[in-house]
Amino acid sequence: MLTEKDLQRYDRQIMLQGFGIDGQEKLKKAKVFLAGIGGLGSPIAYYMAAAGIGTLIIADHDVADLSNLNRQILHWEENIGKKKTDSAAFKLGKFNSGIKIETVSETIEASNVSRLIGDADIIVDAMDNLPTRYLLNQTACAKGIPFVHGAVYGFEGRAMTVLPGKSACLNCLYHGAEVPKSKFPIIGVTPGVIGCVQASEVIKYLLGLGDLLTDRLLNYDGLAMKFREFKINRDPDCQHCKGAALNRKKL
Amino acid sequence: MSVNVELSSAFGVFTDDVLTTKVEGKTVREVLHGLTKQFPKLGRVLLNQEGNLMQTYDFFINGESVYPKSMTALLKDGDLLNILYLIHGG
Repeated sequence: MLTEKDLQRYDRQIMLQGFGIDGQEKLKKAKVFLAGIGGLGSPIAYYMAAAGIGTLIIADHDVADLSNLNRQILHWEENIGKKKTDSAAFKLGKFNSGIKIETVSETIEASNVSRLIGDADIIVDAMDNLPTRYLLNQTACAKGIPFVHGAVYGFEGRAMTVLPGKSACLNCLYHGAEVPKSKFPIIGVTPGVIGCVQASEVIKYLLGLGDLLTDRLLNYDGLAMKFREFKINRDPDCQHCKGAALNRKKL
Repeated sequence: MSVNVELSSAFGVFTDDVLTTKVEGKTVREVLHGLTKQFPKLGRVLLNQEGNLMQTYDFFINGESVYPKSMTALLKDGDLLNILYLIHGG
């Protein structure tokens, strides 16, 4: 049930066509697993908290570093050397005291990924490497939980939403291809753009509104200032999503 | 027979900022080799020792993913080939 304060706080979005009080209640009941609270994770978490998503599980094993601050806008100078999850949870809690923030400081690995994700309604990819992304994608497919992929490099970014069993997954797109993990160039506005796209996808999925980025890879080229999309065909023999089925909980 | 090739802006440093071009070729491999003849600096980052596209790049034909991602995938006159870096940052 929404409180009087909720009705005031979320008044402008409750006005949206197809949103309403029911929609706000859906967001309040929702639980989102956010993998990574860095460049992408910061705007995603900020806008999910702003929208009033009831439970945010934020997972990151890292501590904040001065060189993170050009893009990881949830972390400040005073947080350098501190756990990113603690830094983020403190600010998100101050920003919206009406939502629950759970923190996970473990490294996401094959041995714990299923337990960490638990019964989340949707998984959001804000990682900085492909192996963990594949692990999240595979777990999302196994559990039937939607997965919102995002990635950035320089002025370029991409996003795609996976509905297990219904649309192409990350492995259908990349087929396990890997890139050596290295320090990559990045300007903070790029994860800002892509993170906002991912947060929009989460909100739309939870509300059942609009068209999701399914079977479509959105490509953002900030230098050319162009968005374009590519059609992603599902691989019928995909090792991750073959036989997967969406397990949508009623919110 | 020519194919339209589109590169993302990140490749501009290797192509003097030319991001769209026409290249002769009937397969992805032929077009990539034609492309790297036009822009030799691009060849050094795009192709491996066997002359195939490195795993760190991806391509799309007429705006669609291709599976299997074969260098022998056929292209027709006027097709569009997009080449993207496989980005992984967050």
